Amino acid sequence: MVSTIQNTDVKQKDADRAVVVAVTSRAVFESAADDGGDVYGVGVAFPLLQALHKVNERLLEESSAESLLFDVILITTDDQQQQQSSRITSSTRHYGLEVSRFCFSSQEDFTESLLKNNVQLFLTIDRDEVLRASQNGVLSALLDQQLASCPSEQLRVMISGDAVIKPDTDPMPPGQKGAQSFSTQLGQMRQKFGIFNSPLSIVLVTLHGGRESCGDALRTLRSRGVSVDEAHCLAGAPRGPILSVLRPHFLLSDGVSYLQE
Amino acid sequence: MSLNNGQTLTSGQDSTRNGSNSNRAPWEGVRAGLKPSTPTRKPESPKPENAITIAVSSRVLFSMEKEQQIFERQGMEDYIKYQVEHETQPLSPGPAFSFVKALEAVNTQLRELYPESEELFDVVLMTNNHANVGLRLINTINHHQLFIERFCMTGGNSPIGYLKAYHTNLYLSADPIKVREALEEGIAAATMFSQEKMTEVSETQLRVAFDGDAVLFSDESERIYKAHGRDKFFEHEKAHENKPLDHVQYTHTVTGPLKCFLEALGKLQKKFYDKGQRTDCPIRTYLVTARSAASSGTRALKTLRSWGLEINEALFLAGAPKGPVLEKIRPHIFFDDHMFHVEGAAELGTVACHVPYGIAQTVSKKGIKDRETSPAPK
Repeated sequence: MVSTIQNTDVKQKDADRAVVVAVTSRAVFESAADDGGDVYGVGVAFPLLQALHKVNERLLEESSAESLLFDVILITTDDQQQQQSSRITSSTRHYGLEVSRFCFSSQEDFTESLLKNNVQLFLTIDRDEVLRASQNGVLSALLDQQLASCPSEQLRVMISGDAVIKPDTDPMPPGQKGAQSFSTQLGQMRQKFGIFNSPLSIVLVTLHGGRESCGDALRTLRSRGVSVDEAHCLAGAPRGPILSVLRPHFLLSDGVSYLQE
Repeated sequence: MSLNNGQTLTSGQDSTRNGSNSNRAPWEGVRAGLKPSTPTRKPESPKPENAITIAVSSRVLFSMEKEQQIFERQGMEDYIKYQVEHETQPLSPGPAFSFVKALEAVNTQLRELYPESEELFDVVLMTNNHANVGLRLINTINHHQLFIERFCMTGGNSPIGYLKAYHTNLYLSADPIKVREALEEGIAAATMFSQEKMTEVSETQLRVAFDGDAVLFSDESERIYKAHGRDKFFEHEKAHENKPLDHVQYTHTVTGPLKCFLEALGKLQKKFYDKGQRTDCPIRTYLVTARSAASSGTRALKTLRSWGLEINEALFLAGAPKGPVLEKIRPHIFFDDHMFHVEGAAELGTVACHVPYGIAQTVSKKGIKDRETSPAPK
């Protein structure tokens, strides 16, 4: 059973233009310490939501009629949390989070909820959920608990250069299409800001490949209108130390993304 | 002198005529992992913890004076526009270029002798540049056939975190502020400058020259010299002849910022010595110091010995200018904490870089202060 509740505190986004990002409520709220109160504590994805909100704010500053905005929906797949749906909505309101909709479903049919809501990016702390969402064709990324401990105010999106497929590859793997359109939209958003002081930073990282892979990725992204801010080429160096400096909020790969393997 | 002629190898079983990776066992292609196989297989980059990592900024590796001017006069947007427009035009070599080439030459020779080892130089391009400039830098690396597979284009963010993540052994940059920051974090670093004259250097033997005080050694002696003058300095040196030029601060020993880099070079040198290559070792180190052999030189040599470090040649100039001596040595790079010596060396064509460490760095401030307080002649 899938149900959707609109958040009346928040202005609904343009369904045609907005970039729908679904985040699990388990990632946003800390439900471990259940003191039975009205409001949850903040979870791993809390800073991410704030960063997404900041991007929207700045986009609207540039143009008050802007419709290319992030449309954040909270998806509850947890049966336990489902019973506390009012606590989720009241927590959201308490923190003033810019969440436009709440989706409640069971573990079995949450992917249905993603598809119904035209989700372009699904973020969760659960590996299985990432896999299942990707298998159903929804671009999905795992939120990393370690990296979330040192969050950045600026939304930092990491694109894996190893997975950027050249335009003429045929046929395109299913997960790719979602990744490509999302990164293109991200590129469009990035263009609205100048070089400095942008609320959004696009970081290209080539984990395995060397400079050739990185060069290819840069060219391919450029052809899609995606202007990258930072480029890092690791050529097989251990990713942990570099990632903790980069502090990305999530990594876009080819549909199945893991920040740390 | 080239290893391929086979004339200098004593034990021939490790050598191959064409220096290719034919020493690798058949299964090593599998270990290459995700790397696509190419006809001439590029060797893999070593793990940062095993390698001697040299991080260079784009402005010292390549000559970017024109571009720098555009950035300073017209701003970032125009600078990036210019770079993108000239993307396919490779940049010319900068002051660190021949040093990097020499590092690669040493790597080639190390790989021939120790095909399995990851104890090699790893050059990382560490630049503040925006990724838009990336393609021009990549194209330039390709054009000059440099082996640089790792880079960080930080888009304006500080490189310090990345330097640490790569276990950087030496950082070279044109920006003195970043160099100081690196030194404060315990990373050997030096500021490089564009030079009009750069004399030809060896393509097969890496030569690195160091000043002594405040570069290899702590700046203890310099402090005494500045505070109490020459005579006191000599007295002190004689009295402490057997005490190494380092000092204990809290729980650790303070040495010069480049001591560890000399140590790393020594480690690689030993690998050549173990294969019988002593007199013609592809790495050669020099100490070029204002100390004099008769008096203060002893302490310098004893210090090196106490640290277990070797230096191939020690030149005690007793205060004479360093330029002419360096011109003869022709090192790929020379490190000094005094700008006076750096400039002197550069004038005669030696690539010299400044280590902004120790008491010598406050001299210029004092100089300016004196000028301000004394009546200005009109």
